[in-house]
Amino acid sequence: MTTLLKELRERFPEQVCSVEESVPGQFTVLLNGPDATAIARHLLTGRQARLATVFAEDRVSAEGVFYNYYLFDRPGDPAWVLLKAPIPAGHPSFPSLAAELPGVNWAEREIQDWFGLEAAGHPNPRRVALHDNWPDVHPLRKDFPLDTVLPPFEGERHVYRPAHGEGVFHIPVGPVHAGIIEPGHFDFAVAGEPILYLQLRMFYTHKGTEKLFERLPIPRAVFLAESISGDSAFSHATAFCQAIERAAEIEVPARAQFLRTILLELERIANHISDAGAIANDVGFMIANAHAGRVREMVLRLCETLTGSRVLRGMVAIGGVRRDWQRTQVEAIEKTLEVVEHEFRDLVAIIRSSNSTRDRLERTGILRPEKASMLGIVGVAGRASGVDLDVRRDHPYEVYRHLTFSVPVYQAGDVRHRLLVRIDEVSESIQIIRATVAHLPDGPHCAPAQPIPPGRCALSAVEGWRGEIIHWVRTGDGNRLERCKVKDPSINNWPAIVEAVEGNIVADFPVINKSFNLSYSGTDR
Amino acid sequence: MKEQMITRLIENATQLFLLLALAPLVTGVIRTLKARLQTRRGPSIFQPYRDLLKLFRKGMVIPETASWIFAATPWVVFFSTILAGLMIPMVAAVAPFGLLGDALAVIYLLGLGRFFLALSGLDSGSSFGGLGSSREMTISALAEPAMMLAIFTVAIGAGSTGLTQIAGAAIGQNWRFLAPAQMFAFAALALVLVAETGRIPVDNPDTHLELTMIHEAMILEYSGPYLALVEWAASIKQLVLMTLLINCFWPIGLQPTWFGFGALQGIGWLLAKLLFLSCAIVLLETVNAKLRLFRVPELLAVAFTLGSLALVSTFLF
Repeated sequence: MTTLLKELRERFPEQVCSVEESVPGQFTVLLNGPDATAIARHLLTGRQARLATVFAEDRVSAEGVFYNYYLFDRPGDPAWVLLKAPIPAGHPSFPSLAAELPGVNWAEREIQDWFGLEAAGHPNPRRVALHDNWPDVHPLRKDFPLDTVLPPFEGERHVYRPAHGEGVFHIPVGPVHAGIIEPGHFDFAVAGEPILYLQLRMFYTHKGTEKLFERLPIPRAVFLAESISGDSAFSHATAFCQAIERAAEIEVPARAQFLRTILLELERIANHISDAGAIANDVGFMIANAHAGRVREMVLRLCETLTGSRVLRGMVAIGGVRRDWQRTQVEAIEKTLEVVEHEFRDLVAIIRSSNSTRDRLERTGILRPEKASMLGIVGVAGRASGVDLDVRRDHPYEVYRHLTFSVPVYQAGDVRHRLLVRIDEVSESIQIIRATVAHLPDGPHCAPAQPIPPGRCALSAVEGWRGEIIHWVRTGDGNRLERCKVKDPSINNWPAIVEAVEGNIVADFPVINKSFNLSYSGTDR
Repeated sequence: MKEQMITRLIENATQLFLLLALAPLVTGVIRTLKARLQTRRGPSIFQPYRDLLKLFRKGMVIPETASWIFAATPWVVFFSTILAGLMIPMVAAVAPFGLLGDALAVIYLLGLGRFFLALSGLDSGSSFGGLGSSREMTISALAEPAMMLAIFTVAIGAGSTGLTQIAGAAIGQNWRFLAPAQMFAFAALALVLVAETGRIPVDNPDTHLELTMIHEAMILEYSGPYLALVEWAASIKQLVLMTLLINCFWPIGLQPTWFGFGALQGIGWLLAKLLFLSCAIVLLETVNAKLRLFRVPELLAVAFTLGSLALVSTFLF
């Protein structure tokens, strides 16, 4: 990484102001202006780096500028590079990368909506994070008080791109759906059954989470992180705690790291099992879903035994975990895993034995590898389409650096392979937990509480069951945060659904959607 | 003369009662059996009655775009299905309304109901309704000919398309379903039964996913008493088709005429055979996933081919 940074300084001497390693493994490259295009292009094409996310920060009152952050990583290098581009408050505009890098489409528009910084040259600069009928406000700016009450909205609704032609029509679905599904609007342009084009509208559950983080005392903010996306409560909260720990240089005791690893994997197992059943259910193979529900329940009950919460809430804390485990609880893990492994194998056998299910899943909703890497797809969906990314291996945290495990990657990119990635990962996770339990050290389960020093920045990434979760924090005075950026993998992966459904028939959309199973709440925040 | 009329009245009333009362029970039994096979407890077998009762007590929401068709459809569907039900032999070969029409009339009465359902799906103005109507019509365009071929096969054996004659000819020939023509025709009609009653692998009656629905998508905008009528009619249609299949191909226990104790025996056999057929449907629904929508025509093409084979083999053997 040092050679890369040296190279950046030499190639772009006029643009790079300074390079510092703010936190071990995290390099911040300060630019002298809002234009990061040339460096980004060099990193992406010349250095095969990947742009993980783009986000902004309001530092107008402190430094007189906004900052745009571009987060890069490179295959085979555990370090992160954060380009920090100042944007003058008097001219709030930055050149957009979305035209050449469609993956940052929504991220840049979020910055436009929330900070009022114009993404100049964006191919589709319309509202995304705040809906079209919102007044012209920018809630993540510091001069926007959290308790602002906006007048009732009277602006115009979103206009979808029309589809014309004989027999072509639109099917609007949502935002309220049947069943227990979060809100999101899907507008299908169809010619009979085949889907021509899908337009998405999210952010119906926008809760201003990133703004809320700036108000809460840090220990309480952990609970907010848990509620970003209910099915990834533990992953999000761990990502948040890690970011704070890195910023404040808190040493997490070894035992706490082991416990966190076990719980992260349990969350993955529970969700993957549930998804395997749900995918089968959406093609009408209900017996598999019934069994999946049964097996998942065993995992959830184990979670309750270990943490008091079926969905692992209230367990992780700054500096470690809230409760230690007794010997009987550790034994319960081994016992339950034994049964779960056996039962899951049976479940997989049931799904594999059904030819009619295979016929529905195979070659349905194909996301091609080249599209997946262009759109920046991460996690399960990425690995089924040849995107070989896994934070646990690429940027190891907790005890993953000491573990060996394989990361399943397939090239086919259809619903069946997204299911296969999940199935393989459950087996890997079980092995990871076994290895972790076998070497569980003694010692304290949490570092002593200490005040968090202000003005520190740090980044943390966790491989949630869905994919890469990133939290970036800047600490503030009085044990509070200045800014917390949250990136859920769902926000990367929505474009994948748009891509995967094209040419498929409307009746297959539910199972394609389920094979991605993205979080609306995590997207909307 | 007068006595005979009273007897006929009792017969008609009994069959009407059986249609109305038995249909929700068959749906309930299938649901419960399915739940049990899927390691779920499932609802009581009487749940469909409670659902109907609940719906009849509820208010209705009618789409602003809807015309008279939307209001007329539940009645048309309900009464055409009842009429078709009275024209088939249930307990005895003699059907109460057997003189009104033959097997073709039954097929077209069911077709009338479906036609109106498809119209109301379009009439409701929702895109799901249109989607359901288009799918239902695609499927029925293929299912109907297959059904006719199967019925013609048995009709040729009986020398008449009258269902009373068909059932009458079948009585006493308990092993006749082993004849090749009968087997092909049975398979064809069984596939049609699955398609027409909206069961897996053609349609999924339990799904909440509007985009995958066929029958349910058409009636998505119905609520309250209208929905109750449509759902009741759907379960009666299911009973009618199941009974048709049972009495044409498994005449065991079917009585030639309604007659005292014999009628009771006929009802007993009917219930037993319905239970057996329900178990078969449940098994089929549990071990299969739903077909890809565009492969449903292939399945119905199989039904049509089987029907043709049946018809050809009646002349060969």
